[in-house]
Parts: sequence; structure tokens; C-alpha cells
Amino acid sequence: MYRYDEFDAEFVRQRVAQFRDQVARRLCGELTEDEFKPLRLRNGVYLQLHAYMLRIAIPYGTLSSRQLRKLAHIARTYDRGTGHFTTRQNLQFNWPRLADIPDILGELAEVEMHAIQTSGNCIRNVTADHFAGATADEVADPRPYAEIVRQWSSLHPEFNWLPRKFKVGVTGSEHDRAAIQTHDVGLHLKRLADGRLGFAVWVGGGQGRTPILAKLIRDDLPEEDLLSYLEAVLRVYNLYGRRDNIYKARIKILVHDLGTEAFAAQVEEEWRRIREGVLKLPQAEIDRIRAYFAPPAYHARSAPAALRHPNRAFDRWVARNTHAHKQPGHAIVTISLKPIGGIPGDASAAQMDAIADLAERYSYDELRVTHEQNLVLPHVRSGDLWEVYRSLEAIGLAEGNAGLVTDMIACPGLDYCALANARSIPIAQRISERLAARQDEIGELKIKISGCINACGHHHVGHIGILGVEKRGEEHYQLLLGGSGAEDAALGDIAGPGFGPEGIVDAVEKVVETYLELRAGPQEPFLALYRRLGATPFKDALYAAA
Amino acid sequence: MSKRIPAVSVLTANRLHDGLVVFLAADGAWVESIAGAAVAGTPEEAQALQAQGTRASAHNLVVDPYLAEVREIGGRLRPVRQRERVRVDGPSILGDVPGYVVPPPSPHATSAWGEGRGEGQPRARTTAIATALHPDPLPASGEREHGAEAA
Repeated sequence: MYRYDEFDAEFVRQRVAQFRDQVARRLCGELTEDEFKPLRLRNGVYLQLHAYMLRIAIPYGTLSSRQLRKLAHIARTYDRGTGHFTTRQNLQFNWPRLADIPDILGELAEVEMHAIQTSGNCIRNVTADHFAGATADEVADPRPYAEIVRQWSSLHPEFNWLPRKFKVGVTGSEHDRAAIQTHDVGLHLKRLADGRLGFAVWVGGGQGRTPILAKLIRDDLPEEDLLSYLEAVLRVYNLYGRRDNIYKARIKILVHDLGTEAFAAQVEEEWRRIREGVLKLPQAEIDRIRAYFAPPAYHARSAPAALRHPNRAFDRWVARNTHAHKQPGHAIVTISLKPIGGIPGDASAAQMDAIADLAERYSYDELRVTHEQNLVLPHVRSGDLWEVYRSLEAIGLAEGNAGLVTDMIACPGLDYCALANARSIPIAQRISERLAARQDEIGELKIKISGCINACGHHHVGHIGILGVEKRGEEHYQLLLGGSGAEDAALGDIAGPGFGPEGIVDAVEKVVETYLELRAGPQEPFLALYRRLGATPFKDALYAAA
Repeated sequence: MSKRIPAVSVLTANRLHDGLVVFLAADGAWVESIAGAAVAGTPEEAQALQAQGTRASAHNLVVDPYLAEVREIGGRLRPVRQRERVRVDGPSILGDVPGYVVPPPSPHATSAWGEGRGEGQPRARTTAIATALHPDPLPASGEREHGAEAA
């Protein structure tokens, strides 16, 4: 894992001291809320429906056991015993007192963590494939480049007040687990024609009220030019992005309005000017950062545990929640934070401590957070899977449902979020309970739920998406079908008139039943069937009685 | 929030130091229970509450005070909008949050605003409306903590 150098440590220490002073000045009245708000947002502090919320950055979703234990300690000491993992691979605490937040940030700094640039119109926490560095299907580990982007973008003086927030996602696999086409910039690490590493650069993706998939503007960016090219993209955006209308300020609107070719031409022109400048990445620097992400010293191969421990639930968990590792004799384990009827992405302090212990014992001290609100043990010996499974059973997190219909994304929604129009979590809970018994039969089906048009729950790219809205003061839910956040990215289609809180669960079940009736067989997943038949049979089923 | 003055409303905000939801009471204190809120039944009363809220905000007691429309249901004040009902009741899913710890009663469950109290204080009718809607004695400090509500 990356370790802070002296610059990182000092920069975070200074930021904690600055914010401690700012909070003190706010509490004693020296700063008004209007003066304080942009300062707190720069440090990840929101004021939500019921309390302050602190959003903590987990760069490219990588955590150590020590860091997760610190998060558990903070949950226990300063919050109400729980934390919420988000679709940006971050962690949110829902109940911190403002006066305590400087102490929390001080504690985070002890383990090389912070909350800087988790809010505000700046370059946010860089996200990455949660299987990076472990998966058998990647060209190379994308996290060293995510770390390089993190260092470049942290307090970048030119890009600290962008027209709007800016999100970067990175993958090193053809199978896109990082949803790069929904990012302001999506980077696909690949082998270029000459065999060297480089990037396909996707620009102008985003969800929210105007969902747009990113456009490919360069397919052959050499790795040493990563920062100069990003700088050129950001400069064009910073110069031409709209600042007069918050709803049209994201780069996706600029790319759309200018046209992809014209936008790319602007970027290329700026890039030619700066390409050979100070941002050219020396190979020695790439190698230095890459060394932090060197694979662990893998233990010797061991026999597959499933052969030694016949257990149906365990076999099911292995089939669903493990993924092929690049190292023989190892597996990537997804820890589902989606127990049946549970709250997507929530973990208690006790669960976090237990998972930290598991990572230390079985995964070379390393963890990942997924944008699908699960945790990952990236390097588990096959022979240890049974012990890991039993340990997860003991803390209620052994559900073998990764990628199934109960493995839903749900934003905090109206239960916590000041922006939300409707609750997301209870809808996820009811759908989970309703469909759990049939989830293996249903197969891969991704449901994503947002409590408002801002789309933190990624409803636009759910195979089934649910959007909560407010209708005459009450909750109402729109249903979308056919979206995907993967390499075959697509935006879902609105099925038709929306539903009330009870009706939406019935509607989802109706869609699922229609799929089961019409599919060619279990080998045809929901999304494939939707693409084959379109929306009509689902609309007929949903609205026939109306 | 909405600039339209609701027919019947209470003034609500988030408390500065901990962010918790509070309501302006008839005596100028900020209380955690809507049951203790002063109720405005006329535009003039609502404006008086708003004026108090503006001063409380300037004095750094609360953040972003605004009027929330309410109506009486079963002898209790209930906000009209679902959003405000969630703010009153707390997250609807707390009983399912793994490891959720119900906090002890807040020492700041009521925070009397000493300075300027009386000036702009809700008028007698406002207090009378509140009393009429809440014939029972107001709950003690901290009685309506979120965890207790959700349990």
C-alpha cells in the first residue's frame, strides 16, 4: 500500500490544525455559516437532515487493517457505533458533533487518512477497480496511476475551484468494475499498440439530473503523459465550463454542448503545449509509486477449501463471493454488506474490527471498498476460505449474494440526506426480503436505488434502477430498466408512471417475474433479455391492469 | 426553504454544535421535540418565529432556520411533508442499523436563548395554539431521542 511521505504527512497535519481553528472560530461566532460552509465542505463535513455527516476519503478504495480499526474506533467513540460505505468507495459517519470533528480528523491523520476533497467543486477521491492488483483479468494494477492522480490533484491550485465537482475512475481490466463511463474522466489502463502501458481516456460521463455516458477522446495515451493530458482536460473544462448554472456546470454538459470532437481538439491543442513540460512522468517516478503496490509475498499454494469442507451455504458463498486471483491458490473474496433485509453498505464498529482482523490474518493486511458498497479481501489463500467464511458467519456477513438481486446499491436517501426526496434504504430492505428466496434462480441482476435526482445510488445504470421523487409531499418512485455501469454501459429507460413506496416493491417483483417467464434459460441474464426484447413486455406486465 | 408561509407552521433548524434537529419553543428555547414547538397560525406569527430564528442563527445557536408546515393528527403535531416527518422521527431504519448505539440524553436538549428573549417572542396566541395541540405536559429533555423513537 501507499505510505505517506513527509509532504503528505505534513500537509494533512496542517489541514487538521487549520480546520480545528476554523471550527473553534465558527463555534464562538467569529465565522458565520456562510463563511464556514465552504471550509467545512472542503473537509468532508456536510450538515444533513439529522446531524453533521463526515465523509472520509478511501483513495481508490484501498484500506489496511489498521485503518479499518481506526474507522471502527471513530464509529464507537465519536459516532453511534456504525459507518456507511458509499458508492465513491468512501466512508460516511452520520452523527458526528461539529466540535468533535477536528479530533476525528486528527485520529484519521494518525493512520494516513483524511477527508480532504471529499466535497466541494474540486477533483474528488479517485476511485478504482476494487479487484485491482489481484484480479486475473487485468493488464496491470491501475492503483499506482490513481495514486499519481491523487497526488497531482490534492490541493492543485488551478483546479481547487472548478465549475463543479470532478470525479476520476480507473480500471485496468477490460471488464469494467469501476464504472468509468459514468465518471467525469474514466481511465482504462491497457496495452497500447507498441506493447507499452497507456490509457484510453473517456471524458464527460456522469449521472445526476442529466445522465450522459462518457465519450472516448483518446485511445492511446502513453502512461508518461497521464498528468499532462489530465491537466489539459481540466484546463479546458475550467476555462469553458459553465459557472452560471449549477445544473449545467459539469464537464458532461460542456462536452455535449461543444461536441466530442471539438472538445477533444481543445484538449489536444492545450496538451501539445504542455506535454513535454514538468508533468511528464519519469519512469523512475512511476516505478517508485508502483513499488508501493507490489503484490504481497504470497504463501504457498494450498488445496481448495471447498473440497475439504462440504457445506452447501459455503459452496454457494464461494461460487458467488469469490473471484479468480492472478496468483494460483488464491482468491478474491467479496464481503457482502448486504445481509438479507439489511442496510446496504452499513457496518458496525464490531464488524469493522472483525473484518480488520480477517484482513490481517488472511489477506496480507489489505482490504478494498467497492463502489457497490461491499468490502473485499483481495488476497485470500484458497485453503483459508472456510475459516474466512465461518468468521463472516459469526458477524452476520456471510451472505453469498455478490452480484445477485439482493446485492443492491442504495444511497442514504431521505433517512439521512438533506438533498433526498424519498427514502432508499427501506425500499432496498423490502426488495431484499421479497426476492431473497429466489435470488439464485434469478441470477445476476443489479438493482440501484437513489433517493433523488442526484443519483448517488447510480439508478441510471442499474439493470433495474429506482429513483425516489417527492410528489405532493409524499414519496414516489420511478422505475428504470436496462441500465449498465460496466463496459457495456447504458442508461436505463423509464418504464412508465411511478409507484408509491409499497407499489415499487411489487413492481420490481413483477419485472423479475416477467424476466423469469421470458428468458431463454438461466444462461440469459436479465440485461441480455432486456436488450433482446426491449421494454415492451415489462411495460405490459407493469401497467396492464392500469 | 419555501418562501410561502404555511397555514400552520413551526420553526425548525439544526443546532450548530452538534447538528441535531431542533424546534423553536414559545419561551425562545430550542428544543429537540416538536411537541415543545411554538406553533404559528397566522402569517404574522410565522414571521415572528422567523425573526427569532434569524436572530438565533446570527447568535450561532442554530443553522438555517425555516418554517415547516404542520397539522394536528391524533392530538399531535405532524409535519405535512414526508421530509419533515423524517426529521422529526429520525431515520426510519435505525432499528436495523448494525451496532447502532442509542445516544444518552443530550445535555443540550433545550438551549435557552438568553439574549433578547422576549423580544420577538411568539405572542400569546401562538403559545395557546401549541398548548391546544399538546394538552399533555411537554416531554422531558431528551425524551425523544432518535434511537428511542425508532425502537
